[in-house]
Amino acid sequence: MVYSARQIGAKNTLDYKVFIEDNGKPVSSFHDIPLYADEANEIFNMVVEIPRWTNAKLEISKEETLNPIIQDTKKGKLRFVRNCFPHHGYIHNYGAFPQTWEDPNSVHPETKAAGDNDPLDVLEIGETIGYTGQVKQVKVLGVMALLDEGETDWKIIVIDVNDPLAGKLNDIEDVEKYFPGLLRATNEWFRIYKIPDGKPENQFAFSGEAKNKKYALDVIRECSEAWKNLIKGKADSKDIELTNTTLSGTSTYSPSAGNSVAANEVKEDAPIDKSVDKWFFISGSA
Amino acid sequence: MMRRFNSLREPLRRLLMTNSHLEAPFYGKIVRGSKFTPEFAQYLKLPNGEVGSYFHDISLDLDKQRRTVNMVVEVPRWSNAKFEISKELSFNPIVQDNKSGKVRFVDNVFPAHGFIHNYGAIPQTWEDPTAVSSHEGVTEIKGDNDPLDCCEIGSAVLSMGDIKKVKILGSLALIDQGELDWKILVINVEDPLAHKIENIEDVETHFPQLLEATRNWFRNYKIPTGKPANEFAFDGRYRGVEETLAVIEECHDSWGKLLRESVTDEKLPQIKRAGSGVVYESNELPDAPVPPEVGKWHYINN
Repeated sequence: MVYSARQIGAKNTLDYKVFIEDNGKPVSSFHDIPLYADEANEIFNMVVEIPRWTNAKLEISKEETLNPIIQDTKKGKLRFVRNCFPHHGYIHNYGAFPQTWEDPNSVHPETKAAGDNDPLDVLEIGETIGYTGQVKQVKVLGVMALLDEGETDWKIIVIDVNDPLAGKLNDIEDVEKYFPGLLRATNEWFRIYKIPDGKPENQFAFSGEAKNKKYALDVIRECSEAWKNLIKGKADSKDIELTNTTLSGTSTYSPSAGNSVAANEVKEDAPIDKSVDKWFFISGSA
Repeated sequence: MMRRFNSLREPLRRLLMTNSHLEAPFYGKIVRGSKFTPEFAQYLKLPNGEVGSYFHDISLDLDKQRRTVNMVVEVPRWSNAKFEISKELSFNPIVQDNKSGKVRFVDNVFPAHGFIHNYGAIPQTWEDPTAVSSHEGVTEIKGDNDPLDCCEIGSAVLSMGDIKKVKILGSLALIDQGELDWKILVINVEDPLAHKIENIEDVETHFPQLLEATRNWFRNYKIPTGKPANEFAFDGRYRGVEETLAVIEECHDSWGKLLRESVTDEKLPQIKRAGSGVVYESNELPDAPVPPEVGKWHYINN
């Protein structure tokens, strides 16, 4: 499998879409990319949505055919996350695990909250800045359980297997050892990121503690099972677009679905509104 | 009818803007080469079209009553390329600092991304490397041979070469490898919060933790390159506005002396100014790629 990204429309516009291609053919970023890159060695595929230190809230579309990555909107306006001091944009390469689903019909026994109806969110902490539509092979290190407006929204912490430190990072305590302060910053980032928009602080389950690798792997397995039920039509799909090009056993299998996707366009990025540059100082956040 | 009204209103608005920001709209720039290469240079273009010096031809414009001064922006917030007013090149263009032909980028020291302020210089000032400071508390220390550095904390990300009227809020006396290197904290007078910020205490109130982050940034920013932590005079305590005004005046006097004495020492800044009608053409080339290692976050165990 050789993955690449196909861009349509200019970045920072409503037209912007990024499809993931396998050998040049568009596939579903949600359903066609295998969760495991190497199951025996617990190496996963991650789809990068948002590069570190950027603000555009890009995510895998649940509604569009083949689930391209698009920028989230609110009332027809493009969404950007605010900069909450000392942070600039997202502080990780942010993305998702393909072939996973946080089932909104199921309440987690420990967080006591239902899933958020999205693929599992992934925070990649390696030193290289990723790009939208990149498929990275990653190692799982731990997980934090954000309760975002009442829904469980797991954040799996991973590192790119090609990062120079990857060999030294095997579990959650190694993150604090090699990236001192990052887990605390991650906790703070998710708690406060919606405050500038007038929303309350988010809560974390488990008093904000990050759970270890074993716990994270269990969460991934549960969300993988939930996705399997979803794609087989056994779950209430909540209008998720399930078209795929590789899963011949499913009713939404359509090997030629990628043919109608427009050709790659190299377009200059549209300018970002100056208001996105503002730094918000939220006292007592740390 | 409406159209005509609008077409009249726009020039009027521009005229009014011009009156309230006397210096700003008249300056242009002359850009040569590719950004992120040693050949890149951005020159000041004066209103009459001739090339000027960011160091010498922008006035200090110190207003002690309103506590404002001019600033030349060198590095926009959240970027890494170390752009600075050249001392070596005639007319002192903004260039990217380089070490044996390799352009310099500052390292990201967690949790900071690049520079955490709009960073720049106060024109017509100079930290004299040939004489010890007369400022109480740092009287044994010589200057770093640069214009005074300043850190602008407003909410907008400014651009390289911007000339802004800024309000003076205080300062930090950095000792960088034995040289005095004041960092003047300022806010753009056009920032929506500027009218509420008069001093260091106001900065802490409206920008909580920024002062500490600023001090940590300057202390640690060279550690990833293997250099020791920087030190501060006054145990790292911020200096007030009155004291900072005195620093600016002292460095303005040093600058005057530099120009008057026009010493031909190649280590001292070039002092050529506008006035002889030199005109440069722009020859801007596409940006060179930024090396991927500039994206790395460095973690320092304190």
